[in-house]
Order: sequence, then C-alpha cells, then structure tokens
Amino acid sequence: MLPILFAEAFNWTNLQQQCITGLTSGALIALIALGYTMVYGIVELINFAHGDLFMLGSCLALTIFTAFGLAQPGAIDSASNVSIVLAIACCLVAVPIFCAGLNRSVDYVVYRPLRTAPRLAPLVSAIGVSFIFMNVGLFWVGPQDVNFPDVIQDRNLLGDDAVLRFTLKNLLVVGVTVPLMIALTVFVKFTSLGKAMRATAQNPTAARLMGINTEFVIGTTFLVGGALAGFGSVVYALYVNTISYQMGFQNGLYAFTAAVLGGIGNIPGAVLGGLVIGLVQALGTAYIGATWTSAIVFAVLIVILVFRPSGLLGARVREKV
Amino acid sequence: MPLRIVPALFLVAFVAAGILIPAPPAQENSNVVKILSSMPRTGSARGQTDTIVDGIRLALNEVENRIDLDGKTYRIEYMDLDDATASAGDWTSEQEASNARQAQSDPDVMVYIGTYNSGAAKISMPILNRMKVLMISPANTSPGLTKPNQGERDEPKRYRPSGEVNYVRVVPTDDLQGPAGAEWSLDMGCKRVYILDDNSVYGKGVADLFEGHARKIGIDILGRESIDAKASEFLSLMTKIATKQPQLIYFGGTTQTKAGQVAKDMVKVGMKDCKMMGPDGTYEVAMIQSASAEVLNGRFFCTFGGLTPDKLADTPGGKTFVDNYKKFYGKEPAEAYALYGYECARVALEAMRRANKKDRAAICKAGREIKDFPGVTGTWSFDENGDTTQQDMSGIAVRNGQFVFDKKLSVTRK
Amino acid sequence: MNRKVGPRWALVVFLVLAIYPLFPAFDGWFFAATARSLGAQMPTLFIFAILAMGLNLVVGNVGLLHLGIAAFFGIGAYTMGILTVPAYPFEIGFWLALPCGIAAAAAVGLFIGVPTLRLRGDYLALVTLGFGEVVRFTLKNLDAITAGTRSLVPVPPPATPVLSVDWLQDFRPFYYLTLGFLVIVYWMLGSLERSKLGRAWVAVREDELAASCMGLNVSRLKLSAFICSAGIAGLAGGLYASTITSTAQPDAYDFNRSIFLLCCLILGGLGSRNGVLLGVFLLYGFDQILSPIVDEKLQLAYGAPIRREFLGIPISAQMQTFAGWRLFLFGVVLIVMMRYRPSGLIPNDRIKEELPPDPDARPATK
Repeated sequence: MLPILFAEAFNWTNLQQQCITGLTSGALIALIALGYTMVYGIVELINFAHGDLFMLGSCLALTIFTAFGLAQPGAIDSASNVSIVLAIACCLVAVPIFCAGLNRSVDYVVYRPLRTAPRLAPLVSAIGVSFIFMNVGLFWVGPQDVNFPDVIQDRNLLGDDAVLRFTLKNLLVVGVTVPLMIALTVFVKFTSLGKAMRATAQNPTAARLMGINTEFVIGTTFLVGGALAGFGSVVYALYVNTISYQMGFQNGLYAFTAAVLGGIGNIPGAVLGGLVIGLVQALGTAYIGATWTSAIVFAVLIVILVFRPSGLLGARVREKV
Repeated sequence: MPLRIVPALFLVAFVAAGILIPAPPAQENSNVVKILSSMPRTGSARGQTDTIVDGIRLALNEVENRIDLDGKTYRIEYMDLDDATASAGDWTSEQEASNARQAQSDPDVMVYIGTYNSGAAKISMPILNRMKVLMISPANTSPGLTKPNQGERDEPKRYRPSGEVNYVRVVPTDDLQGPAGAEWSLDMGCKRVYILDDNSVYGKGVADLFEGHARKIGIDILGRESIDAKASEFLSLMTKIATKQPQLIYFGGTTQTKAGQVAKDMVKVGMKDCKMMGPDGTYEVAMIQSASAEVLNGRFFCTFGGLTPDKLADTPGGKTFVDNYKKFYGKEPAEAYALYGYECARVALEAMRRANKKDRAAICKAGREIKDFPGVTGTWSFDENGDTTQQDMSGIAVRNGQFVFDKKLSVTRK
Repeated sequence: MNRKVGPRWALVVFLVLAIYPLFPAFDGWFFAATARSLGAQMPTLFIFAILAMGLNLVVGNVGLLHLGIAAFFGIGAYTMGILTVPAYPFEIGFWLALPCGIAAAAAVGLFIGVPTLRLRGDYLALVTLGFGEVVRFTLKNLDAITAGTRSLVPVPPPATPVLSVDWLQDFRPFYYLTLGFLVIVYWMLGSLERSKLGRAWVAVREDELAASCMGLNVSRLKLSAFICSAGIAGLAGGLYASTITSTAQPDAYDFNRSIFLLCCLILGGLGSRNGVLLGVFLLYGFDQILSPIVDEKLQLAYGAPIRREFLGIPISAQMQTFAGWRLFLFGVVLIVMMRYRPSGLIPNDRIKEELPPDPDARPATK
C-alpha cells in the first residue's frame, strides 16, 4: 500500500494535473466566498441564502440558453459559434444583474428591518430566504439534475498530445475569476465607495457620523456580492454542466468554509480560502479517497482554526476594553 | 389574578372532554379496502417515483377502483404516501416508520406498496410483518431483504418477527444483476474495469456483486471507490482514474446519486474511449437529461430486470399495458419503472382476489403463494422467499439519445 | 413581573400530554379524521424537543452559535446501536447503553471543545459545523463498525423485567418513555438555569469580558455548557435509535438537522425552555405530521396531480402538492417571525429586558 502511495505521489504529471483541477474548482469556490465575506464584513450576517442565489443564477443561465435554442439534444453540433458566443455574453450580462438585483431586494425587504435585532434574527431570516430560493429553483428546473449544454470545447490548450490537460474550460474559469477578483480588490482599496465600505465595516456609527450613507453602502455591498454570485453561477454552469435545485447548498457550504478559513470579512482571505479548499479537495480525492474528501476539508479547517483562530489572513482582533 | 385560573380550567376541560367524548365507532363494516404506497415523493427521486405511482394508478383504474370479495363489492382507496420530508430532501427513517405504523394501525389497509429504497424497507418490513400486511416492492433490489446467506448473518430473519413471509418483490435482485453486468462487460471486450459506488445500500451492494463475479471470470479490477453523492463534480477523481486507463467504469448507484455527473466528468478528463455501465437505478430518462445524449451515446450501458418499453409490445401482457397507458395518460410509457408500479398493483389485486375476503393474513398468504401469474412480461411466480421467478435481464445501450434494448443477459460463466 | 405564568403553562402542557393517551377517544378521533395516530408520532417530537433543549443550553444560555448538534445526536444513536444490536457481541440492553451514549457524546464534546472553544463567534460556528460533517462522513465510511449506510438494525426496545410491554404495536410505552425523559431534562435544565452555574453562563453570554473580570473562568464555563449539551444530545440520540429501532442513515445527522433545530429554537424563543418546546412542536409538527396529512386530504379530494397549464406556463406536479410548497412556507414563516417577533414566540424574560434599545449597539451575542 505505502509503496504504491509513494509511486503515485511522485508521479509529477498526475500531481500537476490534480493541482490544475483543484485550483480551478477553488477559484469557483472563491468567487462565491467573496459574496459571503463582503456581506459578513459589513453587516456581520452569515448569508445562508448566498449559495441558493448562486443556484438561481444558474437556472436563469439555463433558461437563456434554452431561449437561444441551445438546450435541446443535438443542438450544440448544429449551432453556429456566433449564437453560442452571443448566448454566453447574454448570460454574463443578464445573470449578474439578476442576482445583484435579487440580493439587493432581499436585503431591502428582509434584512434591513433587522439591523438592530438580535444577531441571530437575520441569520434565521437568511435561512428562510434560502428555503424560498430552493423552492423557486425546484419549480424552475424540477427535482432532478439537469444538463447544462456543453458549449465549450474540451480541447487541450497545451496541444492534443500533451500529457497535462489545460482546457478551454479551465481557461474560462481563470479568465473570469481572476480579473473579477482584481477588480474587486481595486474597487475596495482605491475608490471612495470602497473606502466607505471599509469604514462602515469597521464601525457603522462612526462612519455615519462622518457623513457616510451607510444604508447605501450596505446596499451596494449586496449588489456587488450578488453580481459575483451571478458571474460564478454562469462560469460554474459552463464548467460543470449540471444544474439542480440542491446545488446551492453544497457549494454554499464550501464557500462559507472558504470565507471563514481565510478570515471572514477579509477579501484576499476568501480567495486564499477558496483555493486552499479546492486544492485539499483534489489532493484528498487523489491520494486518500473520494469518500473522505469532505471530511478532510473540514478536518483541515478545524486544525487551521485551532492554530490560527482568526483564519489564515484574518487580523487578530484585540479585545476592546 | 384571573390569568392564573386559565391553565387549571383548560386542564379540567381537557379531562372532561376525554371522559365525555366517546371513542369513535370502529370501522369494521366499511366497504373500503385501502392500498398504501410509500416512496420518496419530495426531493430528487420524485421523477422516478412519479412513474411508479402512475403505474399503480393505471392498474387500479383498469378495475375502476372496485373489487368483489366474497360477493361484496369494495371500493379501493389508494393513498400515495411520502417517506421523505422537505427538511431532509430524501427518505427518512422516522417518516418511513410513521407510514408503516399508519398502515399497520388502519384495519382497512390490506396492501402496502413500497419501498423505493432498500434501506427504507429494512425499517418498515418488521413493523408490517407483525400485522401480516402484504408488502410489495416495485424497486428494492438488495438481495439480503429476502434471501438467506446473501446479506448479514441474521438477514432476512430479522425482518420477519412473526416467522411468516409478508414481503414480496416484482423485481429481480442484484445477485443476478451484478454478475450479469460483469459478464456483459467481458463480452464487450472490456477487461480492465474500475468500480465506483455511491455508498448507499443499493449502490454498494450491486457494485460488490459485480466485483465478486468480475474477479471470478478474469476481469482486471483496477480499483474500487465510493463517491460522495452530494459532491457537485468528480473531476479530480476522474483524473486519478484516467491514469489507470480503464476500458470500462462500473458505477453502482442511481441517477439521483450523480450517475450523470460521473459520466460527464469521465469524458471531460479525456477518457473518450472508456465505457460506463450502471445498474437499473440509472435506467431512466432523467439519466439522459442530466448527462446529455452527446456524452452517453454509444458509451453508456445499463442492466435492467425486465423488458424495455420498446420491446413490451411483443408480449401480450406488455401490449395491453402500453395500450392502456397511452389511453389513460395520452403518451407512451417512457420509464421502465411504470411497469413495476403497474405490476405491483396487479399483484395486490390478484392477492385480494385469491384470498377472496378482506382479511390481512389471508391476503398476505395468498399474495406470497401467487404462482403462474400472467405478468406484463410473461408468466412468473413467487418463490418461497418472496422473490419473482422472472429472471430476464436486459442489457440496454444508449443510441441517438434514447435507451435501446441491446441484448438479453444471463449468467453463464462460473 | 408575570414570570410565574410561564412555568404554569408548561406544567399544563405536560399534564395534557401525559393524560392524552389515557383517553382512547382523543387518538381515536384523530385517527378517524386523518387515518394517522397522533400518539404514534409524538415520541419523535419529544426526542427532538430534548435535542433542542440541549442546543438551547449552548446557543440560548451561553450565547455560542453551535451548528453541529446533530453530530452528538448521531454519536448517541450509534453508541446505542453498537452496544445493543445482535450483530455485535455487546448486547448490553437499552438501560446500560443509554448512559454510555450520553458519556460518549459528552466525551467527544470535551475532546472537540477543549481546543476550539477559545474561538470567537462565527469561527466557532464554523468549527462546530465542520465537526458535524466530519462525524457524519466518519459514520458513513467506517463501514466495519457503523455498517455505513446500511445502518445498524434492529435496535431493541428497553427491557422491562417486571411488566410485559408491547413496545412495537402499542405507541404508549415509547410515548411515556420519551415524555418522561423530556420532563426530566426540562426540569433539570430549569434548576440548572437558576443555579450558580446557570447564572454564570448568562453572565458569559451578556458580557464575556465583564464575566471574566468578576472572576469567572469563562473557558471552563463554556466547556461545561458544551459538554452538557453534547450529553443531552447523546441522550436524545439513544432514545431516537431505540424508538425507530434503527440507527438510521448517517445522513439523518447532517447539517440540515442542526439548522432546522436552530430554527425551532429561534422561532420559539432563544433561551426560553417553553419557547423551545413550542418551536419544536410547531416546526416539526408542521414538517412531519401536518403536511403529510394535508397532502393525503388533497389527494382524496382532487386525485392525482396531472400536468396542467396556466397561461401557457406548465404547472408541474410539484406545484400541485402541499409538499411542493413546504420549503416556501417554512421560509415565509421564518422571515415573518423574525421581522415581527425577533425574540421568538415566547421570549426569555431576561433577554427581552436586556435587548439593546439603541440602534447602534452591537448585539450582545458574540
């Protein structure tokens, strides 16, 4: 057993391949985790509905593809490249707008009246919203897994005969997530609205005294978080090619884990957390066993938090006296 | 303070009500016989259980929901119970136990059609066995439920506290299906096989049986692993499997436990020449919907006990079924499981007719002793364990986005 | 101060529950109306009420967000299973296995609590969540011990040497067994709340820093609450395995269960035992008793759902059953409740008085 394990571990191409797979799915997790962490940073709410918002985004993407006539069996082969590119572009515009608007409306209707309520009240409301979203998803796509048209070719970009595989899909995931993360970092760090966000996160009262419209800032945060979930859902649908009304739960759980692992409220932390989880998942599956993957992810999480109680990049909170 | 008296008053009223209200009259003379079915009706198994329920309703509708027993006409009341809850999204033990208790405590319930999941059957079988309610399963294939020496030490004795058999099933079990699949894969020339399962009673059981027979007949088993059926993709698992270069991946599991995703990810990591095979849990239209025809065409195979809808018209019973189904629902029976629901309900009616009285023990006895029953796919009987003697195995392939009958399977090699 | 009214009502509820099975008329009429026995479904509700009480100890009294209570529930159930099923050589019977289950759950609680309880707020929440998932996967994968997803069966009912009790046909024995344990747990937690330990817990919840300045050992207090709650969950698990005669699948102890219990707690009133009882009866009663009955009535009245269309939009079979709307209703109820009664249906008096009136104050639960 052990020699085999060694032989596998030192199979470099295999290890590299697993790293590619792991980092790609990690990037997707990170994209969802960003929405969690931004909302948490500003209103200290674990938004359990975020994963299901992501699921609804995928449902909309599927509906758009159906409208373009790409969802029927055999439609991909006959479809022109123009219509495929058009459909993807349409998704990348419509779905983030839809998710952002939905997230913002939910905040306005459900969470805003609870800003002063005990802290568990918005949490439970978020669970309620997640139930409603799931029910909507159930009506939208039905109880079973649904195929999302596989419009992106699986051609290996490193050459057809290369041992290592890096396909167009991997490129798509990286190509969408990395610029978004950079844009987000720039937005939060260097724009005045971003500055207002950080101020509100630090101390809402002081921010308001400084003339910041905190409600507007919170609303913007929900908009941005929702839009990220929207981008994530389109990329996810194109990458994994399956949609079901339950997919928000598992992905949301991992994203939440990633957010906390990186230090909740911390934007680079969420990205790092997502990548770590993706890697642990892939390597755990490869070298230990697929049934243990989730257990390993959570065990790693517990161990990291025991040694770094505020997450990987979270600032050590000083006790305010 | 008057508020303090309210609780006391409430209590007194409750006791008074308990004493004064008489118990409701017993319903012994009612002219109703009830048939219950218990299957997961919430969550992802809904699609397949819908077709089973369609089949049951069709069979009952053929006799206009009426049955004559010993000169008296009884109305048949059918109730479709859910053994899943919204909060769990899947079947739960307490809901299955509650359904079984409902059946046992209602004297009008004569037959219990269920369950869908073999794990759920383990809960309800002992409860119903004590009251000798006839239980007919349309979908349980785990051998241990009926056959001695196939499962754990005290199976199936532990499900029969009264010592009598009350559980019968109209589907062939996995001890036929697994080995038949193994031989089929050898016939297709696939000697290097990787085995996956979904870590459920059903999936793991059938994968074990496949593995056992495959080793015996000289297939090279490259590895065996369970997946987490709640994961959303299996790319890293498939990357790992790809390095072993299997010719076929056997997946013990169902469409609900991600068979479609396994197939997709297999192709995605570059295993374009590798085939995939699954048991009857993957034989539903939802499999093609979830994995897409492009992925499955010529690549996916499954085993199924019984005949496919397109072959049904060749048998007399099957033709009647297809015709009636079309008349009643206005479409072809797309799913093979509709047939089993239909068969279950027909067995229930036959058992009542043979017993010829509204009596659970008599119906239970008549049910398990059914011999030479003119079933949909041919004449069959129940053996002493309650298993059907119908042992036809079909090998099914996917072509042009459709499940098509490929060949008849059997277990010949030792 | 109308604090006296609360306990009275609880007494009445327990008395009503206790005499309910004595009059066959009640269950008889319920059965005649719904074809289900209410009494047979109550034991699981009582068990979830015990479990919710255990969770309330940590979340309500000490103010730690605990998202992994189902894991301890599962450990209790599996300990009961392993020690009593005929497949293993132990077969020590219900009465010995129950304390073992409590001890096992409490020991695991100690093991996980010592390193992690110093984590703050939501980091702790995530660790409990992750721990719950680790336990579930371990139960699933340690096939040789826990029988994986095949679940350990049959878990025998409690032995009663003198009486001859028909545990499986008659619902009353389990009804009284679980109700008895519920009353004991309810009463025990009540006296614990009024004890020195209970007041110290509340002090930790209100202000950790102030509590430690007053000389309280905060980490030890948190740990004790965590272990107590794990033990109570273990008790509930043992009862659960015995009632349903099986350890159920490992998936019965997943994150959903923990979240659902948390909803019960907050709906009823965090930190108030009466509120927790009410929350469990409402939510679980809705999920497990009411909604199957409504669906059966709908079926009898309208027959099978057929495929219909409305304004060209296909109405799926899902939308025509009550079960299809259950999640939706849950969600709406939770949101409306939180909007208009964020402290629950029967709020804890002390929490109610201490709720921060000014909008800028950060809530106390940290």
